[in-house]
Amino acid sequence: MKLHVKIQRTDDQTDQFEVDYGPDMTVLNVLEEIYRHHDSSIAYRYSCRTGLCTTCMMLINGKPDLSCQKTAEPGEDGYLTLSPLPKGKTIKDLVKEY
Amino acid sequence: MLQLKTIDTDVLVIGSGAAGLSAAAYAAQQQKNVLVLDKGAVGRSGSSVGAVQIAGLGDWSHEDDGIDSYLNDINESGRGLSDPELTQTLAEEIDVSLNHLIEWGLKLDKNENKEVAVSHTSGHSLPRSISAKKGKTGLGILHALRRKATKDENIHTWSDVITLELVKSSERVVGAIVFDLTDNHLYFIQSKATILATGGAGQLYPTTSNPVQSTSDGFSLGLGAGATLVDMEQVQFYPVSMVAPHSIAGFCISFYHYSKLYNNLGERFMEKYAPNTLEDATRDKLSIAIATEIAEGRGTENGGLLLDAQEEIEQVKKEFPHEHKLCRDRGVDLNTGRAEIGPAAHFMMGGVKINKEAESEVPGLFVAGETSGGLHGGNRLGNNALSECIVFGARAGLNGAKLAEEADVPQVDPSVLEKTEAQFKQILSSAEGEYRPYELKERIQSILGVHAGVLRNNDGLLKAQNKLEEVQKQFNQVKITNTAYYSREVLDYIEAGHMIRTAQAIVGSAAARKESRGAHYNTDYPEQESSLQHTLVNFSDNQINIRTAPVKGGL
Ligand SMILES: Cc1cc2nc3c(=O)[nH]c(=O)nc-3n(C[C@H](O)[C@H](O)[C@H](O)COP(=O)(O)OP(=O)(O)OC[C@H]3O[C@@H](n4cnc5c(N)ncnc54)[C@H](O)[C@@H]3O)c2cc1C
Ligand code: FES
Repeated sequence: MKLHVKIQRTDDQTDQFEVDYGPDMTVLNVLEEIYRHHDSSIAYRYSCRTGLCTTCMMLINGKPDLSCQKTAEPGEDGYLTLSPLPKGKTIKDLVKEY
Repeated sequence: MLQLKTIDTDVLVIGSGAAGLSAAAYAAQQQKNVLVLDKGAVGRSGSSVGAVQIAGLGDWSHEDDGIDSYLNDINESGRGLSDPELTQTLAEEIDVSLNHLIEWGLKLDKNENKEVAVSHTSGHSLPRSISAKKGKTGLGILHALRRKATKDENIHTWSDVITLELVKSSERVVGAIVFDLTDNHLYFIQSKATILATGGAGQLYPTTSNPVQSTSDGFSLGLGAGATLVDMEQVQFYPVSMVAPHSIAGFCISFYHYSKLYNNLGERFMEKYAPNTLEDATRDKLSIAIATEIAEGRGTENGGLLLDAQEEIEQVKKEFPHEHKLCRDRGVDLNTGRAEIGPAAHFMMGGVKINKEAESEVPGLFVAGETSGGLHGGNRLGNNALSECIVFGARAGLNGAKLAEEADVPQVDPSVLEKTEAQFKQILSSAEGEYRPYELKERIQSILGVHAGVLRNNDGLLKAQNKLEEVQKQFNQVKITNTAYYSREVLDYIEAGHMIRTAQAIVGSAAARKESRGAHYNTDYPEQESSLQHTLVNFSDNQINIRTAPVKGGL
């Protein structure tokens, strides 16, 4: 199965990926897949993988959510769309400054 | 010409979990300038985040409890390997450290009678585990410490900066070379006292409860600076953690005492291993039983066993709502089905050898928390890890500040810094190699998972040593395709370098311990020897050296 993913990398650059995917994958699993097999420059933050640290938070299909907890699913437009949280400084791609 | 910038501080704290932030708070109270750095987000990136409870003593303690009975439990659990100087310090100082945290804003969870809720944990003879934030105790402690750090002008924090190596001059640690992922620059931080608090090593294994940052950096940094590691074969596995689905592999299940465990033949196998306690056995015994079932071919396709909690599911939901929900969200419905579980690498009991002042053997270098070794011996008592962090974090901070008061730091030979800088630049231009850094990491994980997990044997440990040597060679053919700022590849590469060194220390120590003791179980020597030995690791001339030494005052 393929999942179509859009990632907002800067204000005016959005990249698209077509990722192999299974139904039990989280958004974080999809990002790991992209880092390993599509684009080694993709930047995202995470730590605990268990919903506690909140450092993996991003906009997922437009809503703030934890990427390690959220099941990867396309939004209404058929894409899983990821962008950084709007508040605070973005270091790169989906990574916020702490 | 040297390009890296130098930053000066009195006290450098590497790592911002419960141990590092405690150290910072105490050092700053002594009016020292403190710099805390973390390769992830400060205060949000270590194992401390996930900790559920903390053990200790206080005015809430059981009437029969006290320093002696706590001490007794810790020493007994350590299987003869705990350092009495360290256990004594923990038992004597935990109440004071806890009270400081409470002063700084930690609110303990209360029971129905509005008293501090104290609960029982296996291995402790009396109930002495307490919590905060409804069982998110680690988070509660980190919040209190982060607030303290923000308020204190003496503390500066720096996220997203990873330590490459400690720097020495005249046989003393005088700081560290670090790499800021956000601006892609190397820095030399010159410090009068340096405190290592980088947490554990779970990421050396394919399945772990630990966060992604637990790549064993501190053990490797300590070795590089000439410190000694003690009892590194003592890796604690959490017996019951999720094996599938992949997205929650390693997630710890706390409610196994409310569950029944089955192998693929449908047998409730704990009837065989521990007929009296069944699933409510200690972590080391349960891990060995589970690993044996899996090794002998009675596991599931995913290499796990089955946990059934249906009979007590209401209790599970009430006591462990976070775990129950997380399983359900990932498609494992415990109300009607079973979960696939197995052991996951959880805690490093070995570590950098320290004395009760949190000093390593190398002047200028202090170590606290999971990176230090010797306190827990062969088996850590549940909930004593956070206690260790706050007690020895305090010691490291106070003693670091004291040293900073007295210290006159020797100058560093610039050629030492130049060498590291040149080597690092060269790595960053390795786009033509064969192995991506994450692949090197995976190889190390797979070797340790197969040969240095819960069950070990002589042949496997020898194989692991040889295979790790092969991986070490593959570092010369590393391929780094992305060297722009905030590069996960560069981070993975630096971490892989720390991992290979620590992996060699673990495997070497496991091979040197010719018996089974605590968490180290070698099927070729299933019994405990009568003589008590520590395994010790040092690093010199680019070589890991392992030896054993009799335990001081041992039997
Ligand atoms: C899921 C889970 C549950 C647990 N539950 C409990 C419990 O209930 N009770 C209990 O007592 N213990 C528990 N433990 C164990 C306990 O949480 C840890 O042992 C303890 O919190 C470790 O704290 P620390 O400060 O030593 O390290 P950590 O909290 O791991 O912090 C280390 C920090 O150092 C940083 N770092 C690492 N390397 C570098 C480097 N090279 N450069 C810069 N920064 C670096 C990391 O990013 C991290 O932020 C649990 C552990 C886990 C994983
Ligand atoms: S990684 Fe910690 S909450 Fe998602």
